[in-house]
Amino acid sequence: MTPTVQGDKIVVENFQHIFDSADGPIEATGRVDLTIPAGQFVTLVGPSGCGKTTLLKAIAGFIDPTHGRILCDGAPVTGPGRDRGVVFQELAILPWRTVRRNIAHGLEIARAPRQEIDATVKRLIELTGLVGFEDRYPHELSGGMKQRVAVARTWAADPDVILMDEPFAAVDAMTRLTLQEELASLSYQTKKTVFFITHSVDEAVFLADRVLVMSRRPGTIKASIEVPRRTPGGRDWESFTTDTDMQAIVEKVLRLVREEKTAHKKDSAPVALEAAG
Amino acid sequence: MTMAQASHARAVPMHDPFRIGGFSLVAGKFSFLLPFVVLVAIWWTIKIAFDLDDRVLVAPPDVLGALWTLFSRGILADYAATSLYAIAVAIIFSACVGVPLGFAVGANKYVARSLDLFLRFFQGVSGISWLPLAIIWFGFSDTTILVIVVYTLVVPVIFNTMVGVRAIPREYALSLQTLGASRLRVVRDVYLPGALPSILVGLRLGMGYGWRALIAAEMLVRQGGLGDLIFGARTFGQIDRIIGGMIVIGVLYIIVDRLIVQPIESLTFERWGVLRK
Amino acid sequence: MTAIAHKPARKPVRGRDIVWMILPAIPFVLLLAGWTIYWAIVRPNMGTLPPVWTVAQTLWQITASGELLGHIIASLGRLVAGVSVGIVTGVLLGFLVGLNKRAAEFVYPLVIFFSAISGIVWLPLVIGWLGLGPALFIFLIWNTVFFLVFQNTVLGVQLVSEVLELGVRTLGGSRLHTILNVTAFGAMPYIMSGIRSGLGFGWRALIAAELVGASSGLGQMIFHAAEFHRADIILAGCVVIGLLSLLMDRLILVPLERRTIERWGLVTPGAKGA
Ligand SMILES: Nc1ncnc2c1ncn2[C@@H]1O[C@H](COP(=O)(O)OP(=O)(O)OP(=O)(O)O)[C@@H](O)[C@H]1O
Ligand SMILES: [Mg+2]
Repeated sequence: MTPTVQGDKIVVENFQHIFDSADGPIEATGRVDLTIPAGQFVTLVGPSGCGKTTLLKAIAGFIDPTHGRILCDGAPVTGPGRDRGVVFQELAILPWRTVRRNIAHGLEIARAPRQEIDATVKRLIELTGLVGFEDRYPHELSGGMKQRVAVARTWAADPDVILMDEPFAAVDAMTRLTLQEELASLSYQTKKTVFFITHSVDEAVFLADRVLVMSRRPGTIKASIEVPRRTPGGRDWESFTTDTDMQAIVEKVLRLVREEKTAHKKDSAPVALEAAG
Repeated sequence: MTMAQASHARAVPMHDPFRIGGFSLVAGKFSFLLPFVVLVAIWWTIKIAFDLDDRVLVAPPDVLGALWTLFSRGILADYAATSLYAIAVAIIFSACVGVPLGFAVGANKYVARSLDLFLRFFQGVSGISWLPLAIIWFGFSDTTILVIVVYTLVVPVIFNTMVGVRAIPREYALSLQTLGASRLRVVRDVYLPGALPSILVGLRLGMGYGWRALIAAEMLVRQGGLGDLIFGARTFGQIDRIIGGMIVIGVLYIIVDRLIVQPIESLTFERWGVLRK
Repeated sequence: MTAIAHKPARKPVRGRDIVWMILPAIPFVLLLAGWTIYWAIVRPNMGTLPPVWTVAQTLWQITASGELLGHIIASLGRLVAGVSVGIVTGVLLGFLVGLNKRAAEFVYPLVIFFSAISGIVWLPLVIGWLGLGPALFIFLIWNTVFFLVFQNTVLGVQLVSEVLELGVRTLGGSRLHTILNVTAFGAMPYIMSGIRSGLGFGWRALIAAELVGASSGLGQMIFHAAEFHRADIILAGCVVIGLLSLLMDRLILVPLERRTIERWGLVTPGAKGA
């Protein structure tokens, strides 16, 4: 039961990106076609270096694709914008702003009224469990807390689309479970379109309306698996782990990912040659 | 860490800007000359446009002429040798005396604490400030100049060596000692490589101070050297000689700094990572 | 870490704290003692090496007469003027060049060359242009400070983590907003270390320039003293020069770094020398 679809939010057409490096061109991705309907939560899994981050950066507008084009709400993406928030793989919150001011940054840029900023920031600080740390600087927080600030900052700016690149990779296991549940309900309630990269198959299936599996570099999308939503609103890990249908999907995705890993091993020599040439 | 990553990513240009056009100065090995060509053109234009007197500014070819005269008569070699000799003695002395002294000071935290302020104070009293006293003690002689330059160089070397030694985490030395390493071996394997970047910073900084102190001292003592050359030329209003001398001073400094000190510095920084960050 | 080395369980000993506090004074005391002993044995000429107390007396005299203050004000005034111009121009141009890769590639060779001859080397040429007035000193200090601040600003701007800038762009920040709110802050440690070494080089250049030609200032005071073999004035002057340089670092730069760079958990990079 995906939320009401109001047309296609993101369209990736015949996309491929090739980096020019000192040692010659690097095919970061293969050809990718992808459509994300509005309000859908899409997760992407695939072997390391297959081009997931590259695809995300292209949607965010950080890189100009070598081939193909990317549309957001039907208009070509030409650069980063307020409509597409990004939570980075690396930490991107500003060290010289306190937690509060980091989260408020997007609203400050949009010149939102003071009360609105304060209210939004307060709500997000509570939601992400950062109460009591409002006036700390990032270097005084743990890795997981910093990542929560990053998520809250993106959410506070209220973009239509949220792009997340392994946002919970550096978070401790317990916190991660809570954050995932919070993210699931937050995205459902706010009806945001989310594109989420992860290495954890469990996480991918748990959060998603649809899981995409990418092949090894140069990656293409080799499978797309719909995940039916049982409970309206959020999800929780207890029911997820006991739900046999869900676990079947997890296994299916796991198999697809595994194939890529083993294929990678077998074909490692040609891949290396290709990279060198 | 993220800083280093970003710089690496940017070090790979998307497309080589020099390849556009195909002008040899832009594309070739000598592309660094282009800005100088532009500068000399501006200089010459100013000279002609404002019809400046030769006692204010000379034309570029006159400087070449003056340099050729100085060179062909052996004057330049003589003056440059005097300066280079002084700076070489100071560098060797600082490296041989300042580094061991810095180690001795840095190895013990009480000694380090007691000498920190002392060294900072003397780093603040620049070498050139002692010139009047040195003139009283040693007269207008080469000894005076040498004393000033050695003082200028040795203080930052001692100080930075001390700082470098103090900055090495104790665990490095302790873990090697648990492997049964001797004291000498700990110094060789931990303290020397660990402190080297800082030592080199000290040497480079010291050289920058020292070279300038040398030029200033030569201007006042008037016993040969490039400072004497350019200051002496002023008495006769020989702008061509002054500018020629300045160019020699700059080129010699760059040769010593870029061809000797910097390669060692970047080698150690690359090999051992940026210890400072 | 140091706590591990010294048994942490033991209660802090008061005596040790006092020793720790007076440690920095020891080398100064030893130096003065050695100087006094040498003087007592050798009895050198007053003009060559006066005893400690004569220097102290002289220092008091020139302070009380207001002579010293006049020289300090003259020197500091020149320094402040030159350094301010140097910082403003260095930071502004540093940003312009640091944000523009092509500009950086173009000016880089020039910067290397001119920073190699920055400061006192210009004196003979510029005396002819500007005379011996304040403009000369301001030019020489500017010329020293500018290159250090400029080079460090360019480096700092270029090294600001791209992901921080992109993050703010995705929040809707304009390029200008990003430069002011991300790049400027991220480059701060480098700018500060540029200013710090700029002050060091600038102060030296100033003293050197004042030695060569000035009617006032600390450099002139000690050079003038040399003509009359007044070693006491020279030594007093050196003490003042060292103290002022220490004070500038301690009272201005260190607190500024504490309030900004350290507060944000950034690390000061090693200064990039000229
Ligand atoms: N700026 C760049 N310049 C050159 N090559 C790059 C650049 N960025 C990425 N690549 C290359 O493109 C390929 C894909 O990189 P990408 O970061 O998209 O992988 P990824 O799927 O996100 O990997 P991971 O799961 O490890 O984060 C890799 O081989 C990488 O080396
Ligand atoms: Mg990635």
